[in-house]
Amino acid sequence: MKAFLEKHLEKIRPLFLPGGKFERLYPLHEANETFLLTPAEVTHGPPHVRDQLDLKRTMIMVVFALIPATLFGIFNAGYQHNLAHQVAGATFWDHFFKGLAICLPIILTSYAVGGFWEVLFAIVRKHPISEGFLVSGLLFPLTLPPTIPLWQVALGITFGIVIGKEIFGGTGFNVLNPALTARAFLYFAYPAQISGDKVWVSGPDGFTYATPLGIGMVPHAGETITETLEKAGFTFEKMLIGLEPGSIGETSVIACLIGAAILVLSGIGSWRIMVGGVLGLIFGSYLMQAIGSPNLKPLVDLPFWYHMVIGSFAFGIVFMATDPVSAAATNAGKWIYGFLIGFLILVIRVANPAYPEAVMLAILFMNVMAPLIDHYVVQAHIKRRARHVYA
Amino acid sequence: MASFTIRKGLNIRLVGAPEPEIADAPESTAVAVIPPEFGPIKVRLDVQEGARVRRGQALFHDKKNPAMRGTAPAAGVVTSIQLGPRRVVERITIQVEGDDVEPYPRLDPAAVRKADRAEILDVLLKSGLIQLIRQRPFGRAANPEATPKSIFVNGMATGPYQPDINVMIKGRETAFQAGIDALTKLTPGKVFLCLDGARQNAAALTDVKNAEVHTFEGPHPSGNTSVHISRLDPMKPTDVIWTVKAVDLLQIGHLLLNGEVPSHRIVSLGGPAVQEGRRKYYRVRIGQPLKTWLDPHLIKVETRVIRGDIFSGEKVAADDVVRLLDNGYTVLAEDRTRHLLGWAMPGFSYFSVSRAFLSPWLGGLKREWALGTNQHGELRPMVLTGLYDKYMPLNIMVDYVVRAVLANDTEEAIKLGILETLPEDYAVCAFACPSKMDLVGIIRKGLEDIEKEGI
Repeated sequence: MKAFLEKHLEKIRPLFLPGGKFERLYPLHEANETFLLTPAEVTHGPPHVRDQLDLKRTMIMVVFALIPATLFGIFNAGYQHNLAHQVAGATFWDHFFKGLAICLPIILTSYAVGGFWEVLFAIVRKHPISEGFLVSGLLFPLTLPPTIPLWQVALGITFGIVIGKEIFGGTGFNVLNPALTARAFLYFAYPAQISGDKVWVSGPDGFTYATPLGIGMVPHAGETITETLEKAGFTFEKMLIGLEPGSIGETSVIACLIGAAILVLSGIGSWRIMVGGVLGLIFGSYLMQAIGSPNLKPLVDLPFWYHMVIGSFAFGIVFMATDPVSAAATNAGKWIYGFLIGFLILVIRVANPAYPEAVMLAILFMNVMAPLIDHYVVQAHIKRRARHVYA
Repeated sequence: MASFTIRKGLNIRLVGAPEPEIADAPESTAVAVIPPEFGPIKVRLDVQEGARVRRGQALFHDKKNPAMRGTAPAAGVVTSIQLGPRRVVERITIQVEGDDVEPYPRLDPAAVRKADRAEILDVLLKSGLIQLIRQRPFGRAANPEATPKSIFVNGMATGPYQPDINVMIKGRETAFQAGIDALTKLTPGKVFLCLDGARQNAAALTDVKNAEVHTFEGPHPSGNTSVHISRLDPMKPTDVIWTVKAVDLLQIGHLLLNGEVPSHRIVSLGGPAVQEGRRKYYRVRIGQPLKTWLDPHLIKVETRVIRGDIFSGEKVAADDVVRLLDNGYTVLAEDRTRHLLGWAMPGFSYFSVSRAFLSPWLGGLKREWALGTNQHGELRPMVLTGLYDKYMPLNIMVDYVVRAVLANDTEEAIKLGILETLPEDYAVCAFACPSKMDLVGIIRKGLEDIEKEGI
C-alpha cells in the first residue's frame, strides 16, 4: 500500500511542479500527498534532527479532542428532535441517526465551503494549504443551532475564513479566532436563525424551547433561580451531561472535559487559559453577587458551578479560548487572558440586558486584547531583565 | 565552588555515543586551511603558490585587523590557493613535507604564570590560536583590543555525542593548567571553569588552580556557555566576555609549553551511522581531509556528517577538512522514510517530546533512539506558543526574540537579551518546534545584523 502510493505520487508529482500541466494546483497536490504520506523532506541545517510532531498532527489532535463533543452533539440533536416531535419508543440509534441527518449536512457544508476558500487562497497566494482549517471547519458548525439554514453555514464559514483569517495572511497571522468570527458574523447578520427560543431544537413549526440562559433573563417571583431552572427541566446533572437544547457541540460539559483532557495531556491546549477562565468565572460570580444591584439579571444568584454547565462556557473556554494563534502568547499573558474571559462572560451574562450568552463576545474581545496583554508582559520582562543584569 | 541544577532543556538518550578510548587516524599527505572558517574576515595572503612553509608559519592575515593571522597546520609546500567568487580565498592546500616548525617562545609552567598579557596575546595572535578563544557577544574570535570582564572555560558538553574533556585531558594535565594560567593574564576579572556535575571529573579539572570551578547539572543545553555566564557573571549588552572550550584550551597549553603550533588534535566520532567499534576518539592531523579517514568508519547508507552536535552543529561538505576549531563529528543517516497517514498514527515508534503520540506515554523518552535527519513535517507559520520556553534555561522569551528579529527590530531584540545568547542556545527549541521553524538561522541573522549595525 505504502510502496504503491509512494510510486504513484512520485509519478504524478511532475505534473504539479513548475512547467507541469497543473502547476498552479501544486498546493492541492502537496496537501493530498502529505495527507497520505508524511513528507520525505530532510532537515536543511541545524538542528539536524527534529521532533516527530508537526503542525498537521497538532491540528489533528484538536480535531480528536472535538470528537466527543461532536458525537454527543449529533446524538443530542436527534434526541431533542425526537422529543419535540414526541416520537415514541425511539432507541439510542434512532436518536443518533436522526441527529446525523440534521448535523452532517451542516458539518459537511462548513468543511466543503471552508475548504474551497482555503484551497483557493493557497493556490493564488502560493502557500501550502493550512491544516488549521480542519479545526475551524469543525469548530464552527459545533457553535451553530441545529436548525441553521445551510446557506448561512456557507456564508458564515466564508466570512470566517476570508475575513477572519486569510486577509491577515492565513493561519498563524490571524488576530481573531476564525470560527468565532464566522459565528459572530451570523449572529449579527441573521439573529433570527441563531438566537431566541425557536432555533435550538429542530422541532415542529412554531416549537419553542427556552434555553437556561433565556429563562434566567426574566425574574420569577417567589422562587430562586435554581428552582426556576429545575421547573423548566434544567437540573445541574442534566446540563452537565448535556441533554438540553443548544448549539450542536456545546451542550455536554462532560464531552468538553474529555476534550480538555486530550488537549492538556497532549500538551497542545493551554491549561493556563482553561484554569484562568474558570477562576475568572468564579471570581466574577462572587464579585457580582457582592455588588448585587437590582439592575442585574436573576442569573446573578446562580452558583458558579451552574454557570459552568450553562450555555457554552465549557466549549468556549476549552476549544475557542485556547486557540494559540488568537490567544495571548506569553505564559503570564495566558493566565490574564483566560481569567478575563471567564470574568467577562459572567459580567455580560448577569449585567447585559440584550444578549443572553456572552462566551463568543467575551472571547472575541479578548482576542483583540491579547496582543496588548502580551505587550505589557514583555515590557515587564524587559524591565526585570534590566534589573537582573545591571544590579 | 557552586553547583547549579538546570531544569529546562532536553535530554535524549541516543545510540552511538563515542567510547572513551583514543585511536590514531591514518595521516594524509596533504592538508588544507579554509579561511572562511574564521568568520567574516578579509583575507590577505602572506604566501604564494609553490612557497615552502613551516608548521605555524603565517599563511594569511585579516586586512581589517592585521594582527589576526591564519597559520599552516603542517610543514610543506603550498600546492594550491583556491579562489572563489570575487577572489575570496576559499582554500589553501599544503603538500606535507618534513616537519619544520616556526619557533614560538617556549615557556615552562612557571614562565606562563609570570608572563604578562602582551606576551601571551602576542603568541596567541601570531600562532593563530587566538581563534580558539571566542568573544561574546556574537561568538567571534577574541578581539585583542578588547578587555574581557571574565573568561569562561567550558569543561562540559551536554549536547549529544560531544567529546568529554575527561578523556582528552589524560596525560595533558600540565598543558591544561598552563592554558588556564595564560587566560588569567588576559582578563582583569575571573576565569571560570564550568564542569558537568553529573560526571566524575578528573582531578586536574576539579583541583585546577587560578580558576573558579563550578558545576552544572541538567538537560541540554545546561552545558552551553551562555547558561554558565547567565548564572555566574551576567552580561550587559556592552560587556565583553571571552569563552573557550576546555578541549581547545589543551591546544593553547600545548602551544605555550612546547613553543610550536600543534599539528594534531583529538576529536570525537559518534552517531548511529558510524560503525560499532569505530565510535571513539581519534588523534587527527589538523587540516586533514575528512573523507580519507572518516569514510571507512561509516555504515553504507546515505549519511550526513556534522561538526559539533546534532542540534546546533554544521553540515560538513564532501571535501571538508579537520578545522582548527573542530573537536567532534557526529554522523547521522539521511532519513527520507515516509509514514503512511502519519498524522493519524498512534506513533509507538516515533520520537517526540510532545505527548501527542503514544510513545512518550509508554516510556519512549527513556528508550535509546537512533535519530535520522528527517524533518518530520513541513515548514509552517509559528502557531503553538510557549513551547520554546520549556527548552530555554536562560531568562529569554524565545517567541519574542524571534519575532523581534523577524521584524528587523534589533533594538527590541537587544532589550530581550539576544546578545547574551548564541544561535546554538535556541537549537533545542527548534528541535521541538512543530512548525519546523529555523530558529537557529533566524537568531544567527539577528546577531549578524546587530554586529553590522553596531550596538
